[in-house]
Amino acid sequence: MRRIPIVQGEHRVVAEPGVIISTLLGSCVAVCLQDPQTRIGGMNHFLLAEPGEEVPPAGQQRYGIHAMELLINAMMQAGASRGRLRAHLYGGANIIAGLGRIGSSNAAFARQFMAAEGIEIGRCELEGTHARKVEFMPYEGRVRSTLVDRAPPLRALHAPGEAGGDVELF
Amino acid sequence: MPAASAIRVMVVDDQTSMRAMIRRTLQDLGFKDVRDKAGAAEALAAIKSDRVHLVISDYNMPDMDGLQFLEAVRADPVIGKTVFIMLTGSADREVVQKAAALGVNNYVVKPFAPAALKEKIERVFGELN
Repeated sequence: MRRIPIVQGEHRVVAEPGVIISTLLGSCVAVCLQDPQTRIGGMNHFLLAEPGEEVPPAGQQRYGIHAMELLINAMMQAGASRGRLRAHLYGGANIIAGLGRIGSSNAAFARQFMAAEGIEIGRCELEGTHARKVEFMPYEGRVRSTLVDRAPPLRALHAPGEAGGDVELF
Repeated sequence: MPAASAIRVMVVDDQTSMRAMIRRTLQDLGFKDVRDKAGAAEALAAIKSDRVHLVISDYNMPDMDGLQFLEAVRADPVIGKTVFIMLTGSADREVVQKAAALGVNNYVVKPFAPAALKEKIERVFGELN
């Protein structure tokens, strides 16, 4: 088995057997998408806002929608069909008391996104108070989540582009 | 100084969540008439009948991508001059250059802040009020 670890802000898509995409989650959410017909699958790992950070709800939505779009686009470019996608959702734990319920916000976003896009949810292990290790074998259609003691450190979020692009057209 | 409320907009993106977010952003900027479609083919038909002033379209869409959509709009004698702003990913530099060659009016890289979208629209229409 070849192992591909991903961290916050990343996504990977694979279409061949014998590959495990893995990640460690605290309050972040990982979405595993699979097209069962082509066996193409992918995982992302995202956070809408850091604990204690004041990000307005619309700004949080932008992070999440963009993270999901990157994964879905990569799946479709690899040959997956959007209409056949199925999702497994993990993470969104509220680990540190007193820092709000950012994990629950991440989890709620993931559920709402799947509902809005009409993507069927398969396994769903969200919220709680423990970090998780998720291992996804897209080609084989297997996914495993185990509770772990320590959450990975959070990485700083990058604000959506203020400039909107740096190629001068005219 | 054009009024945002007088500009009729068509948003085209295959993701429901993205269309809803762009719609909210435009409404916050003062746009009142915002329509949306999930695909370029149906948007093309709607633009012809609705005579929109501004198209904001994703690049990465199944069936007809943003460049093919732009090309179809520009080739149409009736709607060919409609303002067209393309939404692209950060790694799509080549797409932006192709879009420029096809006559795109401007582009915005996702994820974008509302101010970035406003600035790109104003570069085409002038300062909005």
